[in-house]
Amino acid sequence: MTTDAELIGRSLAGDTEAFMEVICRHEGAVGAYLVRRVGREAAEDLLGDVWVAAFESRRNYDRSFPEALPWLYGVALNKLRHYWRSRPAEDLVPDLTGMANGWDPWPAVDARVDTQAALRLALDRLRPEEREVLTLVAWEDLTVADAARALRMPAGTARRLLHQARTALRNAPEVVVLLTDLNSVKESQ
Amino acid sequence: MIMDEMDLVGQLKNAAPLRSEAYERARTALRGAMAESEAARASEIAPVPEAAPMRTERSSWARDRRLGILGKVAIGAGIGAVAATAAIVVVAPSAPRPAAPAWATSQAPAAQAPAADIKLVSLVTEIKASDDSLQGDASLVVRTQTIDSRPPDVTYNLYTDNGDYYVTDTESALPAAISGHDNLAEDVNAREVEAARYAATGDLDTARKQMVNAMPNAFGLGLSPAEQEKAWEKAMAKDRSIYQQKGIAPPKRPTGKALQNLIDNHLWTGSVDALARGAANPEIRAGVLKLISTIPEVTVKDSTTGGRPTLTLTAGPALFGGSDEQVLTIDARTGMPIRSEVGAPGRKPSSVSVFEVSRVTLADIAAGRF
Repeated sequence: MTTDAELIGRSLAGDTEAFMEVICRHEGAVGAYLVRRVGREAAEDLLGDVWVAAFESRRNYDRSFPEALPWLYGVALNKLRHYWRSRPAEDLVPDLTGMANGWDPWPAVDARVDTQAALRLALDRLRPEEREVLTLVAWEDLTVADAARALRMPAGTARRLLHQARTALRNAPEVVVLLTDLNSVKESQ
Repeated sequence: MIMDEMDLVGQLKNAAPLRSEAYERARTALRGAMAESEAARASEIAPVPEAAPMRTERSSWARDRRLGILGKVAIGAGIGAVAATAAIVVVAPSAPRPAAPAWATSQAPAAQAPAADIKLVSLVTEIKASDDSLQGDASLVVRTQTIDSRPPDVTYNLYTDNGDYYVTDTESALPAAISGHDNLAEDVNAREVEAARYAATGDLDTARKQMVNAMPNAFGLGLSPAEQEKAWEKAMAKDRSIYQQKGIAPPKRPTGKALQNLIDNHLWTGSVDALARGAANPEIRAGVLKLISTIPEVTVKDSTTGGRPTLTLTAGPALFGGSDEQVLTIDARTGMPIRSEVGAPGRKPSSVSVFEVSRVTLADIAAGRF
């Protein structure tokens, strides 16, 4: 099968459908990546922006890597940073530049997250770069090396961040309680 | 099997799938960008329309919302970047002026501008009189934001004088962002800066229109009422499928004060964004303050911050849908933003941002020399 790198090369040579093929291969994974971080509604709004940004920056793709998914996660993360900084609850007054009457553009919180509030709280307390490495590995099934590539950092740094994240999580009171409960139940079964 | 912390985190992995139409919409957006790219490559000429075009295949509201973000992130980009020259003449605090200036709602683009706030005009005069040359070719803004009782969030924002923008969560991550070409600036940012530059010396009505139109919108400024209605309908038609999917009726075109506030929201957001990006340039700073001075819902008062004279600009709730207000504190001598607070009027602000700004060179930051 033609690699993503080859398709991107063809795209740079003028074959636009080649880039569309790359997108079709990874839209499910990148869509899920976005949903896990901002909920479905916002993810649906962001996905097109991610593709456009990827297309516009494809010239920077390092074609020594055959698979583009980690790179696409990195592009998506940049778009998420835009998004996170736009959330009215976390920033300035509501920006009405895109709002119509009665329109609520902000996505509903994923109910699934509510059921795991304690764990989410512990994740929130991690440093952002620790959380990114951890979730890329745990949710997107990336290797640490690929997570490092997505985050544009040395693999050693990503390994250190993952270690720090796991240690912090393991020692978080909420996680200690959760793990104790879960492992006790397993042992008693 | 004993569960560990990774297993626990993995339990949050399941996510609601995107709807198939969302994938299709995203692909359509990509095709639009590809077509634009092809067209640009063919002509090698970028059109300069009066109003920034909306990307045909993308929802205008989603794009607009994002465009405002940079202003929110970037307030105060040039704090301390330009040296002060002389104190301004202080006059009595201004009061809100009558609403609905003609320019905002009139079909005539050359309608009379509202009276500008005298404090800001005085400051503009001082800024324009100074023409300090700045060291470096970029501004590094360390922004510390505290939301409610949560721990402060620090971001490192690098604005280069040629318009690039990098943002990271740690200072040490900036070199990688630069080498990785993680430039988050968008075309709208350049248009905002250009509008501010024009405002410094050009016709203020034209400059306001230019700033409002830096962000794609369906206002149809300068058109006849019938044409404005048509422009609105056209914009809504583009987003009709999205409204349908979300079960929401397309909104009617606002009129009167509601329309004016919406337009002024564009003007405020774009001006503040331009202030962040172009603060190194006295002309741009002066232009921004001139633009802000014409917004009726913005009041200006004298204040003191950390022992230095400041001006407090309050953008009232009417600009933001009636809920919150934004209070921007700027240096009374230089016009540099210092602090931003957001919250319901009369209550403790829910979000406070403080900025530290220094001039740097891109080469130094790229090399990790901080």
